[in-house]
Amino acid sequence: MRLEKCWFCSSTIYPGHGIQFVRNDAKIFRFCRSKCHKNFKMKRNPRKVKWTKAYRCLHGKDMTQDSTFEFERKRNRPERYDRNVTAQTLKAIPLITKIRHERHKKHITERQKQGKTKQRERDAKELEQDIQMLPKKDTMLSTQKTKVVVKVSQQQTEENLMEE
Amino acid sequence: MAAFLRSKCSSVGRTLMGGLGNNLFGAVNSSVETVSRPSHCDPIFQQIRTFIQMRTNLKVVDNSGAKRVMCIQSLRGKKGARLGDTIIGSVKEAQPRGKVKKGDVVYGVVVRAAMKRGRNDGSEIQFDDNAIVLVNNKGELIGTRVFGPVPHELRKKKHLKILALAEHIV
Repeated sequence: MRLEKCWFCSSTIYPGHGIQFVRNDAKIFRFCRSKCHKNFKMKRNPRKVKWTKAYRCLHGKDMTQDSTFEFERKRNRPERYDRNVTAQTLKAIPLITKIRHERHKKHITERQKQGKTKQRERDAKELEQDIQMLPKKDTMLSTQKTKVVVKVSQQQTEENLMEE
Repeated sequence: MAAFLRSKCSSVGRTLMGGLGNNLFGAVNSSVETVSRPSHCDPIFQQIRTFIQMRTNLKVVDNSGAKRVMCIQSLRGKKGARLGDTIIGSVKEAQPRGKVKKGDVVYGVVVRAAMKRGRNDGSEIQFDDNAIVLVNNKGELIGTRVFGPVPHELRKKKHLKILALAEHIV
């Protein structure tokens, strides 16, 4: 059982899924779903379509270099079966996946840090430029509304009620 | 009584005619739709992805001398032939001094089909065009070479010679 990668979006194709398109030069294109197949038929470039893995890697959104990717490399030469090695591999798979996810999260936070610092710089610059638009402290104090308490006698209120 | 029957018949006739009229209108609409479909320069778009049936033109991918064959009979199923099936065809275009000439009625094995075909592993395979390899009525190859990719499903259909001569097996 081999898990293939979609030619368009680079997602994993599990057995029983997807379409294989064979071109006349014998190049095989595997697609995970009809969405990818239709995009291929429309001659769309996966590097320019924003939701694909190719675009995300090209624009620095996803990790491109990491030691965990080495484990997922395609190996065409079959290994001699060894029970111990198989057991170790099966134990290691979830661990490697966990490490990769953690590194991916870290990569995203690092990527977002730059944006945050740039935003802070922009805010500071804007504040410097438009400082005069902010109201001054003393004017703010003077313009505060003071509550006025009006005392009304009991008789006046009774007269008003009678009139009504 | 006679008048009653006459009225019944006339109403039946009207309903039949009405139904026929509707069908006719539907048929006209469908034909218009098929004609007005946009034609792309890409062969992927031009290829109609359906069964290989009567009047389907197929590319010949061996060196028997034929270039283009038109299917005149599918030897499998009601609807038509698919990948790996045998058909009878008429040679429409041929090279000079080939083993077959224009107008010959020949047998052929479909080695590439634009229609999707399910595989044992659950995936589907689909080719760029419809292509055949010419064989005689005993199933022996006329040509000596097979060009382009062919699917490994031909092994199940006992066309081992085609697989042996093929450039690529997918």
